[in-house]
Amino acid sequence: MFDTFSEKKFLLTELVKKNLTAKYKDSVLGILWSFFNPLLTMIVFTVVFSMLFGKNVVNYPVYYLAGRVIFDFFNHGTKGAMNSIRKNARLLKKIYVPRPMFPVSAICYEFVNFLISFVILFGVMFVTGAQFHPTLIYAVIPIILIIILIFGVGLILAVCNTYFTDIGYLYNVFTLVLLYASALFYPIEIVPTKFQIIFSLNPVYCAMTCLRQCVYGVAPSFSTMLYIAAFALTTLGIGILLFNIYGKKLTLEL
Amino acid sequence: MSLMEKIRRLLGRNIVRNNTPDIDSDIAINVEHLTMEFKVSNDKIDTLKEYFIRTIKRDKGESKKVKVLDDISFTVKRGEKLGILGFNGAGKSTLLRIIAGIYEPSDGQITINGKIAPLLELSAGFDKNYSGKDNIYLNGALLSMSKEFLDEKYDEIVEYSELGDYINYPVKNYSKGMKAKLGFSIATLIDPDILIIDEILSVGDIKFRKKSGEKLNEMMADGVTVLLVSHSINQVRRICDRCIWIDSGELIMEGEVNEVCDAYVEDANYAKIKKERKMKRKLRKKYG
Repeated sequence: MFDTFSEKKFLLTELVKKNLTAKYKDSVLGILWSFFNPLLTMIVFTVVFSMLFGKNVVNYPVYYLAGRVIFDFFNHGTKGAMNSIRKNARLLKKIYVPRPMFPVSAICYEFVNFLISFVILFGVMFVTGAQFHPTLIYAVIPIILIIILIFGVGLILAVCNTYFTDIGYLYNVFTLVLLYASALFYPIEIVPTKFQIIFSLNPVYCAMTCLRQCVYGVAPSFSTMLYIAAFALTTLGIGILLFNIYGKKLTLEL
Repeated sequence: MSLMEKIRRLLGRNIVRNNTPDIDSDIAINVEHLTMEFKVSNDKIDTLKEYFIRTIKRDKGESKKVKVLDDISFTVKRGEKLGILGFNGAGKSTLLRIIAGIYEPSDGQITINGKIAPLLELSAGFDKNYSGKDNIYLNGALLSMSKEFLDEKYDEIVEYSELGDYINYPVKNYSKGMKAKLGFSIATLIDPDILIIDEILSVGDIKFRKKSGEKLNEMMADGVTVLLVSHSINQVRRICDRCIWIDSGELIMEGEVNEVCDAYVEDANYAKIKKERKMKRKLRKKYG
């Protein structure tokens, strides 16, 4: 069972589709909410924070959205993977499905959302009259790196959360801290210089910075991307190892 | 145990699966020293706090495990129909689930030679908000079928399941029988080498029951290996040619179907007589 790639791919698309329909099943607008949600919060944040930081940041809506797409992808992707095993407990206990399919499908689903919010980013760039710099092509690199990071963190969390439920609650608090530690809605300049070094160790913040640099027409710094790559690949290695060891025993913990 | 060995054990798989059957080998399933332990649920460490406290106190209760299967070994030849007998809680369903790949055994080796069709929980893969049509694809994907295959078989499934227009309605509006019918129609699509059946030989109404019975017979007649758990002794006698009897996780008897069935029935009757005698003794004591 599931030994060919096409069978796995088909299962993956079906699981992603299931996630998509399940999330918006009773709403009128359905999947359009994936569009409106980031757009509306962007408007709120722009209205509120433009007054505070508007002078320091060029084109605040774009600054905010470029950070937000990365942060949301990381936040929801890792959380989705974390809860995927527990959420599908009923299924896992009754049918044989390769265990990694669930975290992977959850992350793929969030990737679809990420692509949608990227469309909004481009739309807002267009509306606000921002220039489309050729450096935007480089944006692919931080995006790939953040995907690797999400897979790593997601796999680790999926195992941990199945063994200990309170990892989930703990992680919710952690992402809140991460939100403030990522300079999502404020410019990094307002942070005292001595604390900025801590920010530069945060891979999510680094990925955001790289993406923002691409959007604003600056080539992203090589050393930062190397740091994210090292961090992400290490995490992914740990994640895969952990999932290989504990993944097969997960059904016993549900 | 050396560290390397420990790591190898952690990463090692207890189940070897060959989905494309090895024709030279006449063995379909080989189970060696299979042991399965479950943690007792009220002893499960579920929170981090508890985990830390109990790690410090060194009382993680490693010993509080229940052995559901204890050192079971048997072989099923290709084309053989094996019945599995045992009272409730003997470990039959756990055994089937391990062979189907749902649980990873604590210890032991299993070799499976051929493609398995587990007819264990037929409607487990359904999403209740999906229509019957979408569920065919979802369920098919979960059973490792390809999209092209399902496209091709779609009409056949709808016709076989007798759902008609209901196929476009959400599954949450289905009756239990309708769900079972749809599940059965999907699960029996594949052309398996090994069929695992856990008490599902009666699905739906009398009409569909006959049809599903015929379909199973047809599948079995094709020289498919069958593992059957059933409490209906007559069914086991009719279908199987060999039997194993499991009690409290241990393999008690293995052999020709009638032999094992006779012993099993006798034991069940004897248990009944024993119970009656005990009751009588109790009553006598109570009322003089």
